[in-house]
Amino acid sequence: MLQLLKIEWLKIKKYPAFWWMLGIVALTYPGINWFGYKLYEGTVSRHDMAGALAKSLLGNPFAFPESWHSVAYFSSFFVIIPAILVIMVITNEYNYKTHRQNVIDGWSRTEFVTSKILDVFIVTLVVTLMYLLTAGISGFMLQEGNQSNWTDQIKYVPLFMLQTFAQLSIAFMLGFLVRKAFIALGIFLFYYLIVEPTLRGLLTYFKMPDLANYLPFNISNKLIPYPQFLKRLDEDAYSKALDLINMHVIYTLLLTSALWWLCYSVYKKRDL
Amino acid sequence: MQSVLSIDNISKRYGRIQALKNVSFEVPEGCVFGILGPNGSGKTTMLGTLLNVLKSDSGSFSWFGQANKDSNRKRIGSLLETPNFYHYLSAVDNLKVTQAISGRGKRSDIDEALETVKLTERKKSKFKTYSLGMKQRLAIGAALLGNPEVLVLDEPTNGLDPVGILEMRELIKHLAKQGKTIIIASHLLDEVEKVCTHVAILKKGELLTAGAVDEVLVNEDIVEISASDISKLQQVVANIPGCLSAVLTDKLLHLKFALGTSNLEAINQYCFNNGVVLNQLTARKKSLETKFFELTNN
Repeated sequence: MLQLLKIEWLKIKKYPAFWWMLGIVALTYPGINWFGYKLYEGTVSRHDMAGALAKSLLGNPFAFPESWHSVAYFSSFFVIIPAILVIMVITNEYNYKTHRQNVIDGWSRTEFVTSKILDVFIVTLVVTLMYLLTAGISGFMLQEGNQSNWTDQIKYVPLFMLQTFAQLSIAFMLGFLVRKAFIALGIFLFYYLIVEPTLRGLLTYFKMPDLANYLPFNISNKLIPYPQFLKRLDEDAYSKALDLINMHVIYTLLLTSALWWLCYSVYKKRDL
Repeated sequence: MQSVLSIDNISKRYGRIQALKNVSFEVPEGCVFGILGPNGSGKTTMLGTLLNVLKSDSGSFSWFGQANKDSNRKRIGSLLETPNFYHYLSAVDNLKVTQAISGRGKRSDIDEALETVKLTERKKSKFKTYSLGMKQRLAIGAALLGNPEVLVLDEPTNGLDPVGILEMRELIKHLAKQGKTIIIASHLLDEVEKVCTHVAILKKGELLTAGAVDEVLVNEDIVEISASDISKLQQVVANIPGCLSAVLTDKLLHLKFALGTSNLEAINQYCFNNGVVLNQLTARKKSLETKFFELTNN
């Protein structure tokens, strides 16, 4: 496994799109979270009871320990950026025919797909590191006094990682099955930005909102619920969202395992 | 002689096209084995199957007398169809990937492989900046990396200039002398005839013949003769005992005898006794080209 990881790192470390992705993530994560912080400021700066109540009940969502949650939530909107990279990484293998060459040179087909899991894992790890940095710096800079409870919400780090890996796995599967970068990207963006949000809206409209929880992206979206300040103090909705997390960890793991199993099965049988 | 590769009844179909039909042959250790056939005869499908990028519908094969194991391919340096490399990586980095996957050779072997294919000066350039010939040479370098026991080369001279083709031919001869087994698929008959010890000829997925070049090419004796009075010579040879046919081309008479029955001294004596003095008398092997067209045009 370590050997596969080393080989994938050899391939990826000099791929310009990888560094572009890193640069864009490094800019967008602080950017979107700054935007989130401004939303929060807008809520608490209201000179009414609600504003004062929000500030006293919620604390600063971008300070520790809430920053782990809030930053994970806002950062997860930008899964599109690493998803584009993941699609490029697999479709490049088809485009350059290196997927054949890797097998010709001695890899089994299983090893090739495993190496691609590692690619998705590397990208997930890098994105999670960027999130950690953003949440850590935000939490540290906005903390008031000595916050000994700074690790209280740290469970959102593995949750963010799992969500990113799960959603990038969907992107990977599209690239893997479709083989053409632009078609796979088109399908991914169309589904992620239009089809699934529309389905969510329709299911909610037809009074079946729970069903929307099982749409491919929403299964893992539920790992990181809305931060409380966005729910405008709706305690019931917020605690219901928190209750869903554990089950959705299982659903996410099941869906992601099924996707990779499909990739393994297809690759074992098809001509390269 | 032990077989490096045994192929047993391999068939492969693409929809209505039968790409390979019950193909079986053996590749002896240490030979230069040419797989010949016109375009679309199944050469690349054959090699793709042997290298596990294509799945056969039926039949089996084994490398090194072992079952179809993935690790077998690590002992084989291969160039299949086109040079397949990461466009954004340099030659050195691409060969690092090849080396890491195949486990063949050390880091210093990369420089040696690049030197062999004359890419040392451009070793740090990205693959996408290479010309067609340079890409082909890098693919050959990758196949040679770490000195594998067996080489599988599909159209190795594609994209090479005349000097490159000559160098490739010399390289194959040099490697063959070292005892390596080399399997070459090509439609360039001249190229194959110059380097191969064994051949297999495919047509529309069917194996027409396979074996040592001498056995495949020689199924009759051919003798070329000439004299200053060619018309008298034609009359005389019509009655030579054992002569199956006599065909005149370019002032040369091509006589055919059953395999192993021609006797140059007897022919010379017979002509002389009948008043014709020969100015040329040569035993000829049938050219691969002649044999190839004979087999593939039927």
